[in-house]
Amino acid sequence: MMRRFDRLFEHSTRSLAQRTSRRSLLASLGQVLTGAALLPLLPIDRASRAHAASDSPASPESCDYWKYCAIDGFLCSCCGGTSSSCPPGTAASPIFWIGTCHNAADGRDYIVSYNDCCGKSGCSACDCNRNEGEKPIYRPSRNNDLNWCMANANVNYHCTVSVILGVAEK
Amino acid sequence: MRSTQLFCLALSCTLLAALALAAPPPLPVEHLTVERLPARSPHWIYLYDEVFDNEIDARVYLYDGDSNRRLGQINAGFYTSLNLSPDGATTAVAATYFARGTHGARTDVVEFTDNSTLEVTHEIVLPSKRAEAGPGLFNLAYSTDGRFLYAAYLTPAASFGVLDPGAGTVLGEIDTAGCVLVIPSGRYRVSSLCESGRLLTVTLDPQGHEASRAMSEPFFDADSDPVFVQGVPTNSGYLFLSFLGQVHDIDFSAAEPHFAAPWSLLAAGEQGHWRPGAYQVAALHKSLGRLYVPMHEGGEGTHKDGGTEIWVYDFATHQRLARWPMKPQGLSRVIALQVSQDPAPILFVATENGELAVFDALTGRVRHIEKHAAQSPWMLLNP
Repeated sequence: MMRRFDRLFEHSTRSLAQRTSRRSLLASLGQVLTGAALLPLLPIDRASRAHAASDSPASPESCDYWKYCAIDGFLCSCCGGTSSSCPPGTAASPIFWIGTCHNAADGRDYIVSYNDCCGKSGCSACDCNRNEGEKPIYRPSRNNDLNWCMANANVNYHCTVSVILGVAEK
Repeated sequence: MRSTQLFCLALSCTLLAALALAAPPPLPVEHLTVERLPARSPHWIYLYDEVFDNEIDARVYLYDGDSNRRLGQINAGFYTSLNLSPDGATTAVAATYFARGTHGARTDVVEFTDNSTLEVTHEIVLPSKRAEAGPGLFNLAYSTDGRFLYAAYLTPAASFGVLDPGAGTVLGEIDTAGCVLVIPSGRYRVSSLCESGRLLTVTLDPQGHEASRAMSEPFFDADSDPVFVQGVPTNSGYLFLSFLGQVHDIDFSAAEPHFAAPWSLLAAGEQGHWRPGAYQVAALHKSLGRLYVPMHEGGEGTHKDGGTEIWVYDFATHQRLARWPMKPQGLSRVIALQVSQDPAPILFVATENGELAVFDALTGRVRHIEKHAAQSPWMLLNP
């Protein structure tokens, strides 16, 4: 897991370093790490703007899937990708927002990163809007309204994935 | 038999001849023209459609709440910010465009539309730093005298650009130390919301350069009860609602913001059950002091669920005057609303199903429902 963290943050920091000042980079990473520290277990509540391909909460093509507790966008699972991989020909965003989601299957809470997949126009399938722990833009590491393709070479938004970063310690 | 047939034939011919004589003249020749807008009405509304399924083609519809007709359209590109000039004569739209439609070189630009013709008059090309954020009045905002236009930047480093809309130039960029958005006040003050719950206020000189800055005391807690960033103009500043239904009334008329004691939209028995939620979370009729808020029953994480009811308050006394449920009107959840500022106001209500409903803002009577008014109607602006 630590190696995965290392790779992920190395990728993030290299991309960000090309675009932002060192001070802002530290601030942003600090926000992510602070936000990732501890959030209480939050109830899952499916929001209104949800049109998923599957009704089964066990399906990554369902808006009710556990990892999507703070997602807002099109599920890449319905667009040629999976819950943690971007569709072919798109580019994963190096920066992301995070959520803390409960996996009922093992009873654990996980820190999940939500990365946008970028470079093509909106996938338009499986629109899913859930906002557990979501915060306004003054806490960007928890905000799902921003275009997280903002730091990509092509900032067009296509869909969103959810990637397990680790277990949330209580 | 033969004579009967002849009689019928003669009768048919007579009837046909009579019909031919009675036929109206042909329609006149038409001449192709381009429609011109009538004089501005307080009952017009600018309806921002994010077009979430095809975000590169957002648009702003101009709609008349008296004739119940769409009057025209302003193009709005990708991940749009927009606002009107203080005199209402101009719509400024900041958006991203790609050289080849969905891809290719990125251009961020503010386009200015003459609201009397709906034609674009000029533009300002921006650095590729614009905050591509959810809708609100503080992504792009004019100074109160219209001299400057402020554009929020987020890369995710936070700053804002100072633009000269008259000259069509970018004057400079001001760092906001992690605080976000551009809340205009006074002559040349710009406030930004900080994660610490404070307001950073930067005062500019007449050339658009920073003259001073000050940080307020915290007025909200981002952990326990964050405020929506969709502030609503009041007579002396802006009000902000919190996720749990607190009303923060902030006076921006002096050099430093003054925070009135917050008050709750909820009675004791409603706490924890009802809360505000939408993309545009409130509307205020400033002279009548009527506050309109979309409310729903729900818990944590439902702050973007639309309202199943609109609750109406007297903004001065904080008394709730009415609850207007949407379901009996055949309407889905309210995700944006706006009230006209004239003495006979109408309340525009946009729903998650893309309806635009026109209410009598004093009685709650539904005057009209426009089905399929927009795909993603996330913000409404008065003319």
